[in-house]
Amino acid sequence: MIHILYIEDEVEIGRWVTRNLMEKGYEVKWLKSGEEIDFYMINADLVILDVMLPGLDGFSIGKRIKNTSRDLPVLMLSARTAIEDKVEGLSFADDYITKPFHPDELAARIKVLLRRFNKSDEHIHLHHLTIHTKDLQIINRDSDEEILLTGKQYQLFQYFLRHLNQILTKEQLYEAVWGEEFLEGDKTLMVHIRYLREKLEKDPAKPQIIETIRGIGYRVKQ
Amino acid sequence: MKKFFKSLLAKYILIILTALFIIQIGFFVPAFLFIFTSNQEETERQAASIEEQWHNEASDIERMTKGTILDHFKQWKQQYPQSSMFWVDNHGNLSAQLDVTAELPDEWTPAFTAQFIKERYDEDPFTVIAFAGNNQNHGFIVFELPRSALSQDTNQFSQLGGRTFSIIALTIILFFIMISLLFFRGIRKRLVALQEAMEIRDTDRLPVSIDVKKNDEIGQLESTFNQMVSELRESKQREQEEEQLRRELIANLSHDLRTPLTKMRAHLYSISKETLSANGVQAVQVMEEAMEKLDRLIENLMSYTLLTARKMNYKPESIDIIRHLRTSMASWYSIFEKEGFEIDVELKPFNETEWNVDPLWLDRIIDNLLQNVLRHAKSGKFLSVRTEAGKDYEAIIIADQGNGMSVHSNGKGAGIGLTIVDLMVRKMDLEWEVESGHRGTVIKIKRPKKLS
Repeated sequence: MIHILYIEDEVEIGRWVTRNLMEKGYEVKWLKSGEEIDFYMINADLVILDVMLPGLDGFSIGKRIKNTSRDLPVLMLSARTAIEDKVEGLSFADDYITKPFHPDELAARIKVLLRRFNKSDEHIHLHHLTIHTKDLQIINRDSDEEILLTGKQYQLFQYFLRHLNQILTKEQLYEAVWGEEFLEGDKTLMVHIRYLREKLEKDPAKPQIIETIRGIGYRVKQ
Repeated sequence: MKKFFKSLLAKYILIILTALFIIQIGFFVPAFLFIFTSNQEETERQAASIEEQWHNEASDIERMTKGTILDHFKQWKQQYPQSSMFWVDNHGNLSAQLDVTAELPDEWTPAFTAQFIKERYDEDPFTVIAFAGNNQNHGFIVFELPRSALSQDTNQFSQLGGRTFSIIALTIILFFIMISLLFFRGIRKRLVALQEAMEIRDTDRLPVSIDVKKNDEIGQLESTFNQMVSELRESKQREQEEEQLRRELIANLSHDLRTPLTKMRAHLYSISKETLSANGVQAVQVMEEAMEKLDRLIENLMSYTLLTARKMNYKPESIDIIRHLRTSMASWYSIFEKEGFEIDVELKPFNETEWNVDPLWLDRIIDNLLQNVLRHAKSGKFLSVRTEAGKDYEAIIIADQGNGMSVHSNGKGAGIGLTIVDLMVRKMDLEWEVESGHRGTVIKIKRPKKLS
């Protein structure tokens, strides 16, 4: 069970979001201020923070959370939409959603964050593959065999899975996996994607799992 | 008064007065020394010495013959080449003479003698008359010397003095010029240093305060400059505080408007989960669209207010425009894909891919333009984002195949969005042009190439 810690002083919105998230199967602890956060933080898998709060504001609380536990994803949910606020929020938080928001969008973003922080124990089905996210075990359902990847392929595929359904640019992928700046014209990434496709795709010439988005990058879509 | 003595003016007056004083001294002291004192006294002293010597030697002549007298004369002639001498014996006859130029009678009457003495007394030539021998029986011998010759020695001395005097005077004038030059060079140096210090800028792009070392006019100028800098800094701080307040106000206002909007949306969502009639479903959908539009309008209105008041944070930096555009498109792609658009992205590197722009502003421009495509050009189902390098520009091109801007689209209200684009594009020294017809719209954001 995923525990979400939600801090919101607006009662109506708080009640609605809590109900919605609970309907989606999350366990939610809703607080009206950041006073008792240290106590509830220990069990939380994700924190949703409003910015305008009585007492300590959301930015300060968020920074404090990130200082003590870097691995706890923080999502800012605020009616402050100014670019400066977003920039400040994203300097420590992992995502920033502005009000009014659609509950489906919130749910999707929570999912992405949990995946990114390896908090969800999911079985992702991608065409003929089933992937256990916790230990990144890849099973080919057609042959019932496990597919083994090399170090770089593993890192690359894991990065795709953590950003499932997102389009990732060449620069993003290369810099995340290789940790170096991407230079225009470098073929390393392309070569690794080809190897990865040879292992994962049914027909590597017509890839279905790792899509090429022309002019932008790649995507693994569920 | 104390202030006056520290001023440059006081220093300048002091230099002038000193110079005048020195020049005066330089002129008068040598003049006194050489003209009055030395020259006159020396001449008189010499004359007295000649007179005494002539008398003494005259009385020492033992044998009074023409030969001995002439020998005596010749001895003197050696010492005083310009002199002339003659002997009048006790009978009044002119017995011997040496180099006498004046017309002299051969026989001297007592009357002529008396007249001669009278004429020559204290006149030119300087004349000494002495009795020849130790008694008065041998007549008298006369020594004549032009007074110019007499003062020749002292004249030489005087000429020498004149040269010394000229050198001293010249030295004094040069000294004065030097002092003046040093004085002005000092002032100039400080003024140049001041000007350089005034041009230094701090990190906040304001001038830096200057270290005031002296309390003269330039020192006062430096103090005034420092005062100006501090006033400027205060005013800038005030301005920043006001800016902060205004931004705070707008942020709060935006927050206050969005909170009820969020509540409305929450309840609408709850309603949509209920079983509704077809009319009900449609009503919910219309309300949702209206709410989204209201949300966008609030956002644009806030940005517009900040932009027109020049209060929107602008932080240009050098960014890789292709990379930035690609990342931006990565997040927009899915949205267009969901709407069934055909998406054509072709981003080729420019010669100079680094653009000096505010990345947040650029995002905002792209967001506004793409939002417009999404809302007003849905019918074309086509979006193209590509780069183009012209002869004198590099451009980002966003094209759609909608009905064009002139055709009234359902979600009209893009005006403010495009106004924001226009303000931002111009502020970032970029240009943009729009070509719109019934077959679609092409928007070019151009960066003029710098002339090399």
